[in-house]
Amino acid sequence: MDKRIVVTGLGAVTPLGVDLATSWEALLAGRDADAPLELFDTAGYRCHRAASATLPPLPDVSGKTLSRLSRASRLAIPAARAALAQAGLLDTAGKSTCPVIPLSVSTTAGGMTFGETFLRNVLTGNRTDLLSQVSRYLPHQQVLDLQQTIGFAGPSVILANACASGANAIGHAADLISVGDADYVLTGGFEALTELVFGGFDCLQATSVDRCRPFDLHRSGLLLGEAAAFLVLESEEHALRRGAKPICELSGYGHTTDFFHLTQPQPDGNALVEAMQRATTQARISPAQIGYINAHGTATPVNDGTEAKAYVSFLGNSLGQTRISSTKAAIGHTLGAAGAIEALFAIQALSTGHLPPQINLQTPIPEIAHALAEAGETCSHLRHVMSVNLGFGGSNAALVFSSYEN
Amino acid sequence: MQPLFSPVMKIDLAVTGQGAVSPAGVGVEALRGIESVPANVAYVGQPYKTWPVLRVDLKKPAFQRWQKEPRLRRASPISYFLVEAAEQALANLSASERADTGLIVAFNAGCLAYSRRFFEGIVSEGQRSASPALFPETVFNSPVSHVVSVLGLNGAAYALAGDETAWIAGLKTASVWLRQGRVKQVLVLGAEEFDPVVLDAYRSAHWLSRQNSARDFLPSEGASGLLVRQAEAGDSLIIAKAQDGLVYRSKKEASVVAGRLLRNCDPKIPYYPSARRNWFRSLEKKYSEGLTAIPGSDPNYLGEAFTASSAWRTLCAMQSLTTITPRIFVPVWGLNHQVGSLELEMRS
Repeated sequence: MDKRIVVTGLGAVTPLGVDLATSWEALLAGRDADAPLELFDTAGYRCHRAASATLPPLPDVSGKTLSRLSRASRLAIPAARAALAQAGLLDTAGKSTCPVIPLSVSTTAGGMTFGETFLRNVLTGNRTDLLSQVSRYLPHQQVLDLQQTIGFAGPSVILANACASGANAIGHAADLISVGDADYVLTGGFEALTELVFGGFDCLQATSVDRCRPFDLHRSGLLLGEAAAFLVLESEEHALRRGAKPICELSGYGHTTDFFHLTQPQPDGNALVEAMQRATTQARISPAQIGYINAHGTATPVNDGTEAKAYVSFLGNSLGQTRISSTKAAIGHTLGAAGAIEALFAIQALSTGHLPPQINLQTPIPEIAHALAEAGETCSHLRHVMSVNLGFGGSNAALVFSSYEN
Repeated sequence: MQPLFSPVMKIDLAVTGQGAVSPAGVGVEALRGIESVPANVAYVGQPYKTWPVLRVDLKKPAFQRWQKEPRLRRASPISYFLVEAAEQALANLSASERADTGLIVAFNAGCLAYSRRFFEGIVSEGQRSASPALFPETVFNSPVSHVVSVLGLNGAAYALAGDETAWIAGLKTASVWLRQGRVKQVLVLGAEEFDPVVLDAYRSAHWLSRQNSARDFLPSEGASGLLVRQAEAGDSLIIAKAQDGLVYRSKKEASVVAGRLLRNCDPKIPYYPSARRNWFRSLEKKYSEGLTAIPGSDPNYLGEAFTASSAWRTLCAMQSLTTITPRIFVPVWGLNHQVGSLELEMRS
């Protein structure tokens, strides 16, 4: 990075908890949020389970306004507030102390629950109240909801690079600061469970009817989830000038596009290797210096095999010293939020030395079996961690976070 | 009231390639021809009404060459629009130059036709009938992936979502990548496709009229884009400045940000009238008092296709740059989130 970029705030709502601390504690305890899905009728689908989040209350929002917020916004607002609060940019009423906050966010489906209601009504000939449905499903509506509820304005970028979007949004925020276009950025991702997306993964037979078992020989598919996660990124100079305490440094970002197939990665994983190499090059470290990787690990047969090959190639002899786990077994695949929430978990590992264990393993795939983090594992000398994501369309992204040293 | 966030950013992008697909035809030259092709107005029906819309003719030979591409066999029209517009803009690049080219595509609704068809299958035929062939094409970045694959681009690729102003976000992102040296050049595109389901959305917003008069909003579709790199001495076509982030939540707030945008415009610079038949028309007219509209811009109305419209308007404005009019201000009216602007320059 041209400038040192630091993280000064973190916030999340996940299926494991309404805040980051609760989610992290549950994650380390090896719990998962796999449960019957009750948000919509799943009777005709193969799969009937997902990782749903409990929506945190928004006591300062009127009932009328609350009814107009999409589930995605209900997840995003508290997560963004928590990040701003930790960064010291939120007042006691939950409003931003900065009138202008640039945003770099990600999602894949936005407020699709409203879009589904609109489509269902149009298709069944019910044309009442369509405007309120259609106007609230597009992703920029969630940006407006964040801006209005928390009280700020400014430019925004919405990344929609499928399941790598969250990492791309964070990387883009770092790029904006790096070139001097912003001093600080609120960045992250959000995703709510919706039937269109659930039905899509179900018909592709990408969801599991068993447990979600990343990096297991007998893995059979993913568990869908929902979440929101946000970070405040700042230039080091800006953070120190205002007295903010850096949590860590964002030291590297790499992204590549794999044009092998629309929904499948190149089998040798080379595009992912290149994204990870670009991130470590920017961070000026070697792959061996990465202590922990929060892997994409969807538990689909194709993804995990390719990803494991990529780690073998990227880490070489240091595979095993670098610990790896996919937290999707616990919170599900949160699509547009995945890159953001998994980055937060990687940062938590860096900050605490505790590693999220690879849960639900029965028979680990041999290539990386000895590298998968186990329950209770700690690492007292973590200096650098990585978060990795892949997405439909061939998006690959890797972020490196490093301990902050003044 | 939200405060005005208006850092007009110097982005200095040299334009080295252009491409367009619109209801007026295939190619940048066609952008000015719509008024002479009234047959392009199609009437698309709901069960009880029909509405005038502008459609792209996918039977044109320009699109047929892409039908042989395995990647595009199941693709939605938006992917065809994008690949064709992208190829036009990249025409002068060698294979090795393409490999060092980034791609950014801005969408409003994205792959609308397949999303509607996919969900319609679930609603009308049951959950077991959900189509695995359609679902991957509903994802925002699927068309981006197709362009990368078919045209051999090997740089970074982003799909951005937003209203018309996502086009500005795309150009600003390109500027960031170029300043970082991530790629040598970036292809920035806007694209939308029409599906009859949007008629209900537009009708509910009172945007539609059945008259097709000279003032009426016409839904449209297509794609358009620019190949840009960092400006150097000797470059002539430049996107000099960009501004966005003027957010509104109501028509009252829209009026305030529209007023601030146009009042901040240097009166010495002519502006390109962008709000031709959408609901910003009256605001643009109101706040452009004292500004000079560029001559000859008036006849072109290509319909409303969100990010594609922003790109068409930028290209049309660019065609109006001359030695006598070396700078043009292009307002970008986002129909449901924010407003912004671009400043174009012809440098000698």
